[in-house]
This record gives sequence, structure tokens and C-alpha cells, in this order.
Amino acid sequence: MDLILPYIATLAIFFFVYNILTWGLNIQFGYAGVLDFTFITFVACGAYFSGVFALGPGQKSTGFEWILGLSWPFPIALVMGALAAGLLGIVIGLIAVNRLRSDYMAIVTLATGTVIYGLVSNYTPLFDGFDGLAGLQTPFSQWLNINYNQFTYLWVGFCAVVMVICWFIAQRILNSPLGRTMRAIREDQEAAEAFGKDSFRVRLIAMSMGAVLAGVGGALLMGFIGAFNPAGWTSGETFVVWAALIVGGRGNNWGGVVGSFVVAVLVNEATRYIPPIPGNATLIPTVRNMLIGASLIAVLWLRPEGIIPEARRRFYQLPLLPGRRTPAEGMGSAGS
Amino acid sequence: MNLVVQSVGFGLVTASVLALASVGLTLQFGVTNYINFAYGTYLVLAAYFTMALSTRAHLPFLLAAVLACLAMGVVAVGIAKGVMQHFVSRQAPLFYLLIVTFGLSLIIENLVQAIWGPGFQTYNIAVGSPLNLGPFSLTPIQLIIIGLAVVAMVAIHLMLSRTSLGKAMRAMSDNKDLAQVSGIDTERITTWTWFITGCLAGLAGIALTVTTVSFNPASADSFLFVIFAAVILGGIGRPYGAMAAAAILGIVTEVSAVVVSSTYKDDIAFVALVVVLLLRPQGLIATRGKA
Repeated sequence: MDLILPYIATLAIFFFVYNILTWGLNIQFGYAGVLDFTFITFVACGAYFSGVFALGPGQKSTGFEWILGLSWPFPIALVMGALAAGLLGIVIGLIAVNRLRSDYMAIVTLATGTVIYGLVSNYTPLFDGFDGLAGLQTPFSQWLNINYNQFTYLWVGFCAVVMVICWFIAQRILNSPLGRTMRAIREDQEAAEAFGKDSFRVRLIAMSMGAVLAGVGGALLMGFIGAFNPAGWTSGETFVVWAALIVGGRGNNWGGVVGSFVVAVLVNEATRYIPPIPGNATLIPTVRNMLIGASLIAVLWLRPEGIIPEARRRFYQLPLLPGRRTPAEGMGSAGS
Repeated sequence: MNLVVQSVGFGLVTASVLALASVGLTLQFGVTNYINFAYGTYLVLAAYFTMALSTRAHLPFLLAAVLACLAMGVVAVGIAKGVMQHFVSRQAPLFYLLIVTFGLSLIIENLVQAIWGPGFQTYNIAVGSPLNLGPFSLTPIQLIIIGLAVVAMVAIHLMLSRTSLGKAMRAMSDNKDLAQVSGIDTERITTWTWFITGCLAGLAGIALTVTTVSFNPASADSFLFVIFAAVILGGIGRPYGAMAAAAILGIVTEVSAVVVSSTYKDDIAFVALVVVLLLRPQGLIATRGKA
């Protein structure tokens, strides 16, 4: 009992965080059709910035150096991390979204992510390079006197509250005129532009809002683990969120919940506790990564709309008018 | 100044590797009209094939390299037929294929890691001591790579301009439907394109890992977008553009390593990519309807 409850609590935290991440990617890709192949970079941005706002100043002499180091309370640091990720979303979006072909978006996001990864890893004054941030006091410890297990339960609650807020944000965007415009651009960019929609601006907003959710998720991970370094955000991590979104079903947030449970919790996190096979320590993570890649392909092959498909939206039609096809029909629902 | 001239020599080596890789990618991109995000892992896979054949099966290195390239061509065709074909024939949206190749790269990289382990590998060949050729100082292996790239580029040029396969590939790259109604067997041409892509990826992968001496399953990860930069700079589906872009990028990144730091030389390629995308998204040599 002493082991199982903290284990479940840890899985719950990852589940809540991955929900937020999957909704973030859903805003970018599921709503607006932006192929963001470097989603994990925004997560990392949120984690790093929440870290440097909450940590004390880094000192070069001790081998720990990072920018800022303001020792702010964690909830405020979390907001700053989310804002930083949102800003990065705008910056990357300015380059990536401004193109017609979706493969250009994919190339630019992937390339930007690789470059940022290289810069952060090699340039130590920023976030201590490969060693990364470490030594964050457990959040709320300055007000509450709790041990680590109690903190885990507290963090489950905190993540749950943040997740509910993110759910309302994601749902609000989905059902707003802005969300409708995003989906219209996803379905047919030229038609949406003909109706006077500024597709560049709308996609930029989607990019940045998705990045904000990514940043929130990253900050929650930072607060839970207390450390963050480049090993935690290799490009393979982006696949996990993508697989969660594609498997669960894009364009609706319930799909994201199912996907993040199946892919991120069952496949990705729960298997971390399987003891390594003697003599081949990397086999389990390797097989896990292959499973995640294969699940992406298998779902697109067999059930491209995911476990929970995006609902067809029905509009009132006069009975005598010939029926119109709605965009959700047909094999693909996102633009080319 | 001497250092800059020296680095131009290294730039020629990088340009050679880059030319092999980016011509292979751009040929396939032009003919099939979608980009292969797993291309970087093709390079790595061929390097591991060569390593397995030469150090484990004790074949001569050259024979191992040739066999690995051909094997990579067959693997590329197999993946295209087994996975991509399903989505192409159903006319799935472009992003399906992008995600599928993205997922393939994860699978192949981890497959390589599962078979050969995550550690660094080396070939059992002597790199040789540098020779002084005018202002440059290059090892015999580096000279061989430059020579190989030149021969391969001439061969690609002859294939594209003199053979019916090359003509058909150019026709498909221009307009697939028009090529099809003109009686070109597009499926056969696509298969050949994948084979050539795989072979060129193999050559590039072996050349890349010979120049870096040691390699691991993630070795081509950051090189992949230097290849993308060359392909976009050259214009999608434009082999000659890719050659020119590879020469420019190869020399610029190596010379910049002298001025800035070799840690950031990939970033120079990235800056070039961004500038091209913002100023001239159609590439140096424009392709109608492809930007």
C-alpha cells in the first residue's frame, strides 16, 4: 500500500499533464491544422522558464548557472513559463505558418526544434547546458510543512485544478468563432481566406495558444520533478504527444483524454517501472518508442479519425434544399 | 586566412556528403510529391549495414559499402511499397504521409538501437594521414568522398538527361497526371525512384559516418535538416538546384565554423533555411506549383 498509492499518484500526475499537452497540440493541429513537429520544445520552454523564475540565482562557481533565478512562488513561475512558451510559439509560428505547403511547416518546426535543442544543450549560461536545471524546492514547501509523499498527493490535486482550467480554455476556443475559423482554415485555407479570414494570423494564434498549454504542462512537470535537462525533451518525446492525439482522435478534446491515457500513461509512463532486462538495459525504452511510432502509423492506416472521431457538426438546413456534405466526411479532415 | 582556406577544403567534403544526400531526397520529393522525414534514418541504417558487413561478416570495406547501398535501396522500396503506398493510393491528405514518415523515423532509429545498441560504432578502416594539395590538407578518404560525389553527380546527370527512366522521372516531377496519360508507367518509375533514393541515402550515410569516424543511431538527426535546407534552397524536386545548394551550404557551414564555433555550424544551415523560406520559398531554381 505504501508503494502502490504514490505510484498511482505519479501516474495520475503524468495523465493530467499529458492531457494538457495533448489539448495543446490539438489546438495547433486538431483545430488549425498546423503541423508542429517540435511540440516538446514548447513543453521544455515552459519547464525551463518556470524553473528559472522559481529557482534561486545560479552561481557559476558552483557549476550551476542559469539566467534569472528570481525565487518567485511556483504558481507565478508557472504562469511565466506558460507565457514564455506562448511567445516562443509566436516566434516559431512567424517562420513556420507563413507558408502554403504543410510540409514546409513540418520542416521548419522540426529544424527550429533541433536548433533550439542544440543551443540550450551547448550554451551553459542559459539553462546550464546538458546538466540542466536542478534543485528546485518542492512548490508550496515554504508555506506547508509536508513530506515528499504528501507533496505528491498535493501535486495531483494542483495538476487536477490546472487541468480543469486548461480544459475550459481548450473547449472555449473550440466552440468560439475563433475555433470555427481555425477549423475552416484547416479544411480549406483558400476558401476561408476568400471569406476574409486572415489564415496567417489565426494559425499564429493557434500556434501560440497550443504552446501556452504546452508550457503549462512543462511547468507542472518541472514543479513535480524539480529538475529538467535536455535528456527530458528529445525529439522522441514529441512523438508521444502526437501519438496520443492521433490515437485518441483529433479535433475534439475527449479524444485527447483517451489518447493521453492509452499512449502517454499506459504505454509511455507505466512501462517505465518495468525492471530492465539484464544485459540489455535499453531494450524496453527502445521497444516502447517503436510501439509509439507503430501506433501512429497503425491508427492512420486503420482508423484515421482516431478512437473518438471529431463530431460532425450539424447546421439547420431548410428541408427542401439538397443536402450538403460537411467537412468531417471523407477520409481526411485536415487540410493538405 | 590559412584557416579559412583550409576550411573551404573541409567544406568541399561536407558539400559532397550533402550533395549525395540532398539529391537523393529531392529526386524522391519531386517524383512522389511528399517529403520523407525518415530519410535521416536511411543514412544511419546504411552505415550500420556497412559496419555489420565489414566488421562482423569480415567483408572488404568497399564490397560491404556497395552491398549496403544496394540493400538500402531495396529497403527503401520495401518501405515505400509496404507503408507509403497504402496512403498514396487512397489519396490521403499530405499530412498523413508526413506523420507516417515521422513515425517511421522513430521506428527505424529504435530498431537500429535495438539491434546494434545505442553506443558509438566505428569502421575498421584507416583514415590515413592528411595530404597537402595546394592550400588544402585532406585525408585520402576525404578525397575519395569528394571523387565519389562528383562521379555520382555526373551519373545522376546522365541518368536524368540521357535515359528514358530519367526523362520519365522529370516528367513525373513536373506533372504526374500528365505523365500518366502520356503512357508513363508511374508506378514503375516511382519504384525506381525509391531505389535510387535509397542507394544515394546509403552512399551519403556511409560518406557521412566515414568523415565523422564514429556514429550512433542518432547520428543523422541534426544532419537531416541540413539536407532539408539544401533541398529547399535548391528548389523542391530540382537535383541540379540541390547540387548547387549543397555546395553553397557545405562550404558556408564549414567556413563559419572557423568564425563562430563548430558547435553552432548546423545553426548556420538553419539560418540559411529560414532566410530562403522567408525571401524565396520556391528555392534558387523555381518550380512552378511546388512552393
